[in-house]
Amino acid sequence: MRLDDLLRISIRQVYRYRRRYWGVVLAIALGVGAFTTMVTMGREVKKTFNQDLELIGGVTVIRSHFDNYHNLNNYKVMRPNWFHPPTLAALRQVSGVWEISPVAVRWTSCTWRRDSYSFQVMAVDETFWQVRSFWALTGRLFGLSEVIGRKREVVLGSRLAQRIFGHLDVAGEVIELEQDLYRVVGVVGGVTDMDLAHGAFIPITTFADRILGAQHPDRLYVRCVTWDDVEHVAKAIPMVVQANQPAEQLRVEVSWQALNQVKKVSWWIESFIYLAIFATLSLGGFGIWNVMMAAVRSRTREIGLKKAMGAEDRDILAQFITESLCLSLGAALIGIGLGRLLVELISYWLGSRPSEEIFFSCLGMGLFFAVVLGIGAGLYPSLQASRMEVVSATQYE
Amino acid sequence: MNSFRLTSQGNGILIKVVDLVKNFSNGQGEIPVLRKVNLQIHRGEMVAITGPSGSGKSTLLYILGLLLPPTRGDYWLGGENVLNLDRSAQAAFRRRRVGFVFQSCDLLENSNVYENLEFPLIYAGVNPRERPARIIAAIERVNLSHRLYHRANHLSGGERQRVAVARALVNHPDVILADEPTGQLDRRHGHLIMDHFQEISAEGDTSVVLVTHDPEMASRCTRIYPLRDGILYAPEK
Ligand SMILES: Nc1ncnc2c1ncn2[C@@H]1O[C@H](COP(=O)(O)OP(=O)(O)OP(=O)(O)O)[C@@H](O)[C@H]1O
Ligand SMILES: [Mg+2]
Repeated sequence: MRLDDLLRISIRQVYRYRRRYWGVVLAIALGVGAFTTMVTMGREVKKTFNQDLELIGGVTVIRSHFDNYHNLNNYKVMRPNWFHPPTLAALRQVSGVWEISPVAVRWTSCTWRRDSYSFQVMAVDETFWQVRSFWALTGRLFGLSEVIGRKREVVLGSRLAQRIFGHLDVAGEVIELEQDLYRVVGVVGGVTDMDLAHGAFIPITTFADRILGAQHPDRLYVRCVTWDDVEHVAKAIPMVVQANQPAEQLRVEVSWQALNQVKKVSWWIESFIYLAIFATLSLGGFGIWNVMMAAVRSRTREIGLKKAMGAEDRDILAQFITESLCLSLGAALIGIGLGRLLVELISYWLGSRPSEEIFFSCLGMGLFFAVVLGIGAGLYPSLQASRMEVVSATQYE
Repeated sequence: MNSFRLTSQGNGILIKVVDLVKNFSNGQGEIPVLRKVNLQIHRGEMVAITGPSGSGKSTLLYILGLLLPPTRGDYWLGGENVLNLDRSAQAAFRRRRVGFVFQSCDLLENSNVYENLEFPLIYAGVNPRERPARIIAAIERVNLSHRLYHRANHLSGGERQRVAVARALVNHPDVILADEPTGQLDRRHGHLIMDHFQEISAEGDTSVVLVTHDPEMASRCTRIYPLRDGILYAPEK
């Protein structure tokens, strides 16, 4: 039997009896569609969850610092360590790192209407808010242009704003900080760490210029793309630092407990979804098996007739397998189309899109799966069909 | 067998059946359906098998078409002991040498007439470019050109029978085995089919074996074999 005849006959057959098959096709299409969407968008969805850090307790932020005062008790003099610019640049390149933010901290005090308040001032750059998922409770936060412009602007923690002004609507106020006047631009929100709520934030450039005895940033916040990246990024940090500068007393902290909690929950959710996909696909596979079995039984006449017309066992086998493959491949293609549609929708909705590569590897996997399903589920019924005797097959009604 | 081959070629014998026995088992025991049938059919001959219902006519035809294995006996076609062929060679035998018309004139129901006639050509590996001409020639022989693209399940009983006959012709077989090919046809169409069978057999290479109840149709054959209770009697003609 020629291959083009085989394909033509099988596709025709499936098309003519399409009403029998739509349930199976639907199941496989849904399974493949869901699979494609899950695999393609999984990371994007995690990224989006991650962007709303409160939801997952900030587990994707790694804190790193140089413990410069560790040896003070030993009266051992040592040069304080800090994060050099090349180190920071190298850290940004580590895969799984979304953004990093170097920070310097110092105790200071300010005056407002002649009252003096002492607090911790943190020198941060414009990425800090994003890395920590902070937002403006009132007013605004300073951005890149303020950092580059070395502006004298200050963002207050909510507790500090309360302490000084008695309320939070403080944008526009001016405070005196180490003999300089700073404009208060806003109050930061989303802070879970009480120390930060009691402190203030100024551009790291301004800090270096104007604060007496200012130090280089010795703290670093590293935000990972997803919680799956945290572990290897945490491992990479000391190595990257070591490769670029002295790394004595470098500390890396991860909230392992919370991270594992989040990972566990996400693992359960993912497993559950994959289980559902697997169930759908098995249902589809079982459906194919069932439909093909029924077809073999109800098509004994056709089989007998074809054998009487000279079809060999392998022609019948090939036809049934091809029909089964047409079903599963057709369904998979529909599923992939469906998946693509969902991927587009979710990408649009999340505002971030995955690389095409993932989708195409999904396409490959989906088709491969379909072939396995089609042959796996179609083989036994097809063998049954091919082994039928001619007359018992034709007499069967 | 060698000696037979020599003589068979000399006499132009196409089919030789010796002591053919078929028993069906029905749980309790064996039911004899064919008891030692002997039969010789020459090339170009047109043979009728007649007999009452249940006498084993269809069974004999199935065995001749290698659609059913006999219990015992020998069957030569063109000097070849075809019962010894393996499954694949038997399939090849069916598609090259036999055109079969079933009593129930089975067609592929959801396929149209053209597709029904194409299947034997597909299995015989006929080049797709040659197929339309052969299909049209076969369908013209049964006067059904105007129904070529009708679906089989939309045809009348007589039209179905004619399509079944055309399908048996399309592969130019050595022998056409037709189980009551005119059973559902009026006299005119019955005789048309018989005309075609006669034409084909008169060309000399193809033999026709047909089962019929109709004495008028049987009388047009070169020989008429009565089959009663599984015993094939000497030809009446
Ligand atoms: N698969 C089978 N199993 C058991 N008995 C069978 C089987 N096929 C046929 N028979 C029996 O063999 C006998 C001959 O059947 P066959 O179909 O050859 O009759 P027939 O001469 O063609 O009759 P009709 O003229 O009615 O078509 C019948 O009694 C039938 O019941
Ligand atoms: Mg019969």
